[in-house]
Amino acid sequence: MIDVGTCVPIYSSNSSSLRPRPLDELRAWGGTRLIRGRKVLDVGCGDGRFAVGLAPLAASVDGIDPDPEAIRIARRNARAAGIRNIHFEVGAAQQLPYADDTFDVVILSWSL
Amino acid sequence: MVDALRETHRVLAPGGVLVDARPDSRVVARVERPTGSRFQRYGLVETNRLTLKDDRMSDVAIAHAKRERLFKSRRRGRFWHLVPFESLAELRDYLWDHLRFARRARWSVDAATRRRHAADRFVIRRAIRYEVLSAIKATVPSTARAASDPRMQ
Repeated sequence: MIDVGTCVPIYSSNSSSLRPRPLDELRAWGGTRLIRGRKVLDVGCGDGRFAVGLAPLAASVDGIDPDPEAIRIARRNARAAGIRNIHFEVGAAQQLPYADDTFDVVILSWSL
Repeated sequence: MVDALRETHRVLAPGGVLVDARPDSRVVARVERPTGSRFQRYGLVETNRLTLKDDRMSDVAIAHAKRERLFKSRRRGRFWHLVPFESLAELRDYLWDHLRFARRARWSVDAATRRRHAADRFVIRRAIRYEVLSAIKATVPSTARAASDPRMQ
């Protein structure tokens, strides 16, 4: 386990943000190669902040969240960002509406 | 939680990767005041009990999924996340609203010092843990492969 005292700090983009920026978080996990050109699923995607941040790197990103309002906002955010390789769906992590072996990467970012 | 991990395993392609990332409640968050390139510690912020329990259950679920040989760990670690605030009052409001943390910081500086710097910028420094896991997918046993391969017959 890494000693947290030696880790590089990551700032939020602003004071209202509770989360690191998606690419900062991705770098901390090991870099963008983790998702570059891959089919990614963001489980518990909420308002899609993370999924939208990753979409320019990935082949495609799917986001799923049980909250319909959050998914509505996520779709709006993706449209506003002009991102097309992203798809959001309402659903639960316990019953994912996808076929077997669909994704290269599944992300549980602050959702387990 | 284990059900969700089983579903995650199902939708992952062979060789697929699962990333589990979340705040690390085993590391107590700190209230700090930036002073140039350094940070001066002003106090600690505990995680509330329910969240601690939830986090432990998440850890147990991941351990269970590894025992079931759904996933194996490839890499794990922690990094710091700094949440900035314009003032001490803004930080206090954040703690009051935020469900993960206890509502009040445990101060390590006296009230006079806090008052003197109340209008300064502060940060909450908290640890985020992550683990990158590979999905273990059952492969066809070599004997079965040989039986189904016409070249081997």
